[in-house]
Order: sequence, then structure tokens, then C-alpha cells
Amino acid sequence: MTQARAITLNALSLYGVALVLAAAYAAQFMLQELPCPLCLLQRILFAALAVGPMLNIRFGPRPSHYAMSLLAAVAGAVASTRQVLLHIMPGDAGYGSALLGYHYYTWALLGFITAIVLLAAILMFDRQFEEDKAVLPATGGAFAQTAVWLVIALTAANVATTLLECGFGACADNPLVYELLKHAA
Amino acid sequence: MEFTTLFLATAIVMLTAWRGQRPLALGLFGAVLIACVVTYLHHATDTLKLSF
Repeated sequence: MTQARAITLNALSLYGVALVLAAAYAAQFMLQELPCPLCLLQRILFAALAVGPMLNIRFGPRPSHYAMSLLAAVAGAVASTRQVLLHIMPGDAGYGSALLGYHYYTWALLGFITAIVLLAAILMFDRQFEEDKAVLPATGGAFAQTAVWLVIALTAANVATTLLECGFGACADNPLVYELLKHAA
Repeated sequence: MEFTTLFLATAIVMLTAWRGQRPLALGLFGAVLIACVVTYLHHATDTLKLSF
């Protein structure tokens, strides 16, 4: 795999992260389901997955950048596994509604495991780590730049919505209202 | 509030990765990841009701 192709795959992975963050927003706003603290932590770790690909696009692919995403994916898998275990008792309805039979934290666990497998797979292609600067655009081209700014915008939007939801105190275990909007009303 | 701070810190790491210095981005990423683990451990004090 050439360096240019690896960068295209890294940009695609950023679109994948953007899709996950957008899907979480869709559940939050269309179904009126506020994310719980563990759900928010999983969102943060999905966003953290994107830092490695951003560095790969800007500085060229390096094993250390992939390692950063691997660490974020493992941490995310741990957090989502805990939430699956919290609702594993027979008769437990789970937190929030299910999508195609699985709750969002189960999808998150599958997403983090998929990320771990894909990161391990892409690390097997050594040619991407060889110097190939002549064929590389400075910041990956418009396709990659759009992906980067999309993920940054979604993460910044989460700063605002999480502040609205939790306010300036600790987030509720089972949030039902936006704390800041409640005080404003 | 801690989750708002973590999202903000993650956004700052992203901006640093895209516009700033690579070592700084790596260091900030490590700090955010540690903060995430600490937050997880803080919230992981609920009893796990396992079915076995």
C-alpha cells in the first residue's frame, strides 16, 4: 500500500468517525434520548480515534499515530463493555432504544472492536511508512481536509450540547432534560 | 462538566494535530486519554449486576 493510498484510507476512517458522531446526534435529537455519562465517554473516545488519522494525513503515516487510535479504541471497548454488562441481566430493558435489535452501547462495542481489527490490518502494510513525499499533497487534498474539519466541527458541537445537557455540575446518571435549558426556562 | 471539558480537550488535541506541533499533539492526546480513563474509573463504582 502506497503512502497516498494509506492517507485516502485514513480520510475515509475520519468520515466513519463523523458518521458515528452524527448517528449519535440523530438519536439524541430525533428520538429525544439524552446520552448518559458512559454514552458521552464512548462518544469522546470515538472522537479521540480521529486524532491518529489526522496526524497521518498531515505528517504522513507512522506506527505511533495508529497506536494512538488503537489505545483510544481499546479504552472505548472497555467503556462500552462495561455498559453492556450493566444491562446484561435477563429482563433488563437496557438504556435507550434499540437500533436493529442492539442498543447504542452494543453498537459502540462492535464499532470499537472493528476499529481495533482495521487498525491492526492497516499496520501490516509496511510500504506506507516509507518516505514518499513527492506524491503527497500538503494536507491530503480537499477530500481529507473536509473529513478533518467535519470531525472537528462535530466534536466542537458536542462541547456545546454536553454543556447544555450537564450544565456546570456532574452529569445525571439518567438525564431527562437539558440542565442549562431547564434553568433558563 | 467533566464530559464538556473532555470534549473541549479532544477538540483542542484535534486542532493541535491539524495545525500545531506533532509532539504537542501527542502529549495532549496522552493527557486526554489518561483523563478519560480516570473519568471512567470514577464512574465505574456502580455495582455490576451480572447474571451468574
